[in-house]
Amino acid sequence: MEALHSWADHRVFAGPDESLILGVEDLSLFALSPQACQTLGRWRSSKFVDLNSVPASDYEVLEGLRDARILRPVPRQDETQPGQQPSPQPLKVGTVPLSTLVLEVAQDCNLNCTYCYAEGGTYGAAPCLLDVDKARAAARHLLEHCGDQRHVTLIFFGGEPLMNMPAIRAAVSEAQSYARELGKQVHFSVTTNGTLLDAEIVAFLHAHRVAVAVSMDGPPDIHDRNRPGKDGQGSYAEITSRLEMLLQDSPVPVAARVTLEPDQWHRLPEVYDHLIGLGFHEVGIAPVSPVSKALLPSIGEETLLMAGFSELARRFVEVAREGFVMPFSNILDLLGRLHIGQTRPVSCGAGLGYMAVDANGRFFPCHRLTGEMDFHAGGLADGIDHDRINISLASLNKGRDQHCSGCWARNLCAGGCHYENHLRENHLGLPRGSSCRVIRGWLELGLRTYAELRSDDAIEALGQRLSQRAQC
Amino acid sequence: MKTKRPIQALNEKARAIQSLADGENKSVRASQQGPPAMPVGCTTIFDTGWETNPRPTYPVGNCMSSAKDFHGCAGDCWWPAQVPDGLTNHEDFDKQCPNIARDWRVLKYD
Repeated sequence: MEALHSWADHRVFAGPDESLILGVEDLSLFALSPQACQTLGRWRSSKFVDLNSVPASDYEVLEGLRDARILRPVPRQDETQPGQQPSPQPLKVGTVPLSTLVLEVAQDCNLNCTYCYAEGGTYGAAPCLLDVDKARAAARHLLEHCGDQRHVTLIFFGGEPLMNMPAIRAAVSEAQSYARELGKQVHFSVTTNGTLLDAEIVAFLHAHRVAVAVSMDGPPDIHDRNRPGKDGQGSYAEITSRLEMLLQDSPVPVAARVTLEPDQWHRLPEVYDHLIGLGFHEVGIAPVSPVSKALLPSIGEETLLMAGFSELARRFVEVAREGFVMPFSNILDLLGRLHIGQTRPVSCGAGLGYMAVDANGRFFPCHRLTGEMDFHAGGLADGIDHDRINISLASLNKGRDQHCSGCWARNLCAGGCHYENHLRENHLGLPRGSSCRVIRGWLELGLRTYAELRSDDAIEALGQRLSQRAQC
Repeated sequence: MKTKRPIQALNEKARAIQSLADGENKSVRASQQGPPAMPVGCTTIFDTGWETNPRPTYPVGNCMSSAKDFHGCAGDCWWPAQVPDGLTNHEDFDKQCPNIARDWRVLKYD
């Protein structure tokens, strides 16, 4: 066996007792004993390690690091470099079948949320509803372009999608009958502000197993400040009065989707508790996107955000040890990816298997980029313009690979959200990487939480569930 | 943390990598000590390219023994390996494919 080795890209996360080491290329996570950590520290600055000539006392650890592929054989000259073995081909736009289509059924809204990135639901244009013919055509488009996949997802979005029930009903009915014909299955979901729910709509959503996410931001003072109606009055009472019929006998989980502004980040655990208390089956919390400079956080606020996430992660571990799953979407999604070590060639499916159609029947790479005309990519009549997607995403991401090449989180983050980058770099003129600190902090918290769950095998029961979630 | 080794695999990717190394170490040990536990005879899967060559050297994307089989098992030699059928379909495979290691893909045999 080859004796001369060099270090593969890795990152050590020091712990009070044992430390963690992450193989950056593979996303393989190992625990290091204190002795292993010390040995690693002695050898880490050596460019080469010859396993035939290391002291016997260091051999076991260095051999273990070789078995973990943190140390890799130095190739002979006629061999390809390890780590430079043919990397997986980058996913090409247009070659990935469509699996999820977002329908912007209503580019209009009855609320006036402070942080809305869709300019009051209109995405910067005149208020507009998707007509039923286009809704049907979009449902057919998804099923005609999904390749061999048996399961696809149709998402209703807005603005407030429940303002256009005729389009939702038409799309669901068309998708179901066409899917039956093709032997496929369509899953539906809707993100709503909840203010227009009534018995008839709830019956429809339940009958078609539509997964509902309700945008709610927590206790009344936070929610009403963030999500007022057009008249300036808060919407909390309006929603909670309708929530019970939605939650009651729902055939699929109902989630709360939270957006918090930086000065609310210190209240994360309280917000989570409040929404679980209202009966939601799952809660996901997003720090607001900086649609204006006023919403950019200070370092102190970022620290408070991480403290809130840390507290929720700590409780997640506590609950897992008792054999339960805490329904906190953020940590569940991250742990799922870390559990299988899922690397990503791209940050998300936007423009690949994931597309959005706006109320005028125009395609965009994702729901958040809707209305950003630089990203407009064809329409229902002529199909998706893959060249336009390539050009717009390439322009947004020019040089990003190089920017990320030294980052340990690159295979987890893969450059981050296109929309968030577009917002920060093109609209606000911020330098590249303005959100990296928070992203890395969050990913490190996930790694440490995962390791803690592993430490007493609390994750064994969770394992399968997490894998499934990561592969959704 | 209950650590059995100084470096303990945590996630599934790490476990897969470590168990791969365990397997490699076993076969090295097997060939070094005692009666070898080496596989004897041909591969059990007669699929050209099963053992692919990852290096940019000939035979590209194929294995040496498979490339040799083209000659060794063609013509009047009967052997149930996936090689050009020199009796019926590829009588002149030598002309189509003068350098087996380099040109084996041009044969388009199934």
